[in-house]
Amino acid sequence: MTGFGRRLAGKLAMGLVMVWAVATFTFFLVRALPGNPGDVQYENYILMGMSPGQAQARVNAVYGFTSHEPLPRQYGGYLWQLAQGNLGQSTSYSGVPVAHIIGSALPWTVIPVLSGLIVSFLIGVAAGVVAAVKRSSRWGGLLSLSGSVVAGVPTFVVALLLLLVFHTEWHLLPFGGTSDYEAGWNAPYVGSVIEHAVLPVCTYALLSYGGWLLAMKSSVISVLGDDFILAAELRGITPVTRARYIGRNAILPLFTVLALSFGLMFGGSIFIENTFDYPGLGSLLLKAIGTRDYTLMSGAFLLITVAVIAANILADLCYTLIDPRVRR
Amino acid sequence: MAVTTATLGASPRARRPALLAFRTAVLRKPGRVVGLAIIVLFALMAVAGPWLYGRLEIDPDAVYAPPSAKHWLGTDFAGSDVLQEIIVGARYVLGTAALAALITAVLGTGIGLVAGYRRGFTDSVLMRITDFILTIPAFPLLIVLSTVWDFSSPWLMGLVLGGTGWGGMARAVRSQALSLRERGFLEAARGLGLSTRHIIVKELLPNIAPYVAMHLLLSTIAFVTAEVGLFFLGVVPFSTTNWGVMLNQAVFSGGALESPDALFYLLAPLSCIVLLTLGIVLFLDAVDELFNPRLRERA
Repeated sequence: MTGFGRRLAGKLAMGLVMVWAVATFTFFLVRALPGNPGDVQYENYILMGMSPGQAQARVNAVYGFTSHEPLPRQYGGYLWQLAQGNLGQSTSYSGVPVAHIIGSALPWTVIPVLSGLIVSFLIGVAAGVVAAVKRSSRWGGLLSLSGSVVAGVPTFVVALLLLLVFHTEWHLLPFGGTSDYEAGWNAPYVGSVIEHAVLPVCTYALLSYGGWLLAMKSSVISVLGDDFILAAELRGITPVTRARYIGRNAILPLFTVLALSFGLMFGGSIFIENTFDYPGLGSLLLKAIGTRDYTLMSGAFLLITVAVIAANILADLCYTLIDPRVRR
Repeated sequence: MAVTTATLGASPRARRPALLAFRTAVLRKPGRVVGLAIIVLFALMAVAGPWLYGRLEIDPDAVYAPPSAKHWLGTDFAGSDVLQEIIVGARYVLGTAALAALITAVLGTGIGLVAGYRRGFTDSVLMRITDFILTIPAFPLLIVLSTVWDFSSPWLMGLVLGGTGWGGMARAVRSQALSLRERGFLEAARGLGLSTRHIIVKELLPNIAPYVAMHLLLSTIAFVTAEVGLFFLGVVPFSTTNWGVMLNQAVFSGGALESPDALFYLLAPLSCIVLLTLGIVLFLDAVDELFNPRLRERA
């Protein structure tokens, strides 16, 4: 297991470097914005009757750095605050810590993304196997075509069409928010949450379905031609064992698709949450840009990146656990 | 000496005229002809659109008019013809995607080839950078950048899309280069003492071209999606006519989801995107066969 530990440490170090790079990027981005928001805020506080010292302290609390200090000190202060989990204060929610706002939005993105991923994985992999085995028949071809087309159709098109059909035309599913009731552990609330989550989850699922199908199809086809399958068939294994052999080997390359899907889905969450008016990280990022709330914007962007990186590390670890060849 | 390697490393194109092979591959299945026709149609729209309808005609008497002989796809909130808007808007959408695809092709192929052929230290540095580009969620990054940069010019948008989108291509090209470098014709080229530059450009590149072409077509879909999406979300100021702006207007101002009046205004850009995607997917099939001899013999 020492190899496993070293791999994990390497991945974590790489992840930390990426988080640092993204934090640095957002720091310089906020400073490079037209009319440096830190300066603007400082002038506002002065106009509100604060002394320069007070104003500087307030700006420091909001942005994590003061724009009157030399650049390296600003940058160091920002990173130090960040290391302590302090993302600054929101300007549009007047003084609420950004970490709080993001914390309450996070589950509404992560849970639908994960449910959508599981649903699309199960359906996509099953369809991929069928498409591979029946690849010369008409149905196999149609299944593959469905995968290519669904993989190519943009997220917002899928979201809009689902909304149009299931909400506007058929009035089957609700739209907007996470539920119609007060939060609490009772049947109407939970039922309503599930009802509101159906359309976003379906959109997430459709988003990555095509990728799973196509990857599983090509993977199964390449395993089918392998010598060890032929040898096993000649030994007279049962069809169930043969299916298990093929399945175990064909599913391995799909972990690279998994890593790519996370980025796709968190990127897609912006469209999906915007279309269904769902209060997750993506709509938070959009709202922050709409209200020019730069601390919230950089916080939300940083967290989306951290979520993608964490998910990638997790996928890589699963791969290590499943494939004994990597574990050495 | 160069003749020897050329014959050893020759792609099938050398034996048959490229255009002829292309024609045969496309004509083999009707789906491919349809795909090519769709792509050509949209390309014509992008080239000629703004010349045909330089200034959109506004008909104030027909706001959200249903499709008619005069307005084939109806009109929008200001009485402009939806079909004209689609045609004019194609230039921004496709021009940006083409620029981004060009950048992806150059960066992705270059980095992938060098990393795969050189291996060792160069490879691991280049692949760390590629992993970084692949992991950063590109679309949120695009949205954050839209606060600083003005994306109404197709050049800047294409540059950013291409600059964040080459990771997948570099990975695919690298893995091809890794497997190709062990093949006989490359070993022969190395044995002849040909320069690395010659090997990469003259021996590796022609063999990798099919993968580049396929990835390019696929990433074009992703680029169209991303840029139209950016305008759809309304984070970029609307200064040009394009499909994303139309979608945004239809959904958020036209109320296309509540009233059927603006339905055609919503469905026209939507179906254009789906149609373009379908065209590219159908055409990919032909590219695949053209460059993959095994598929050609079976058919």
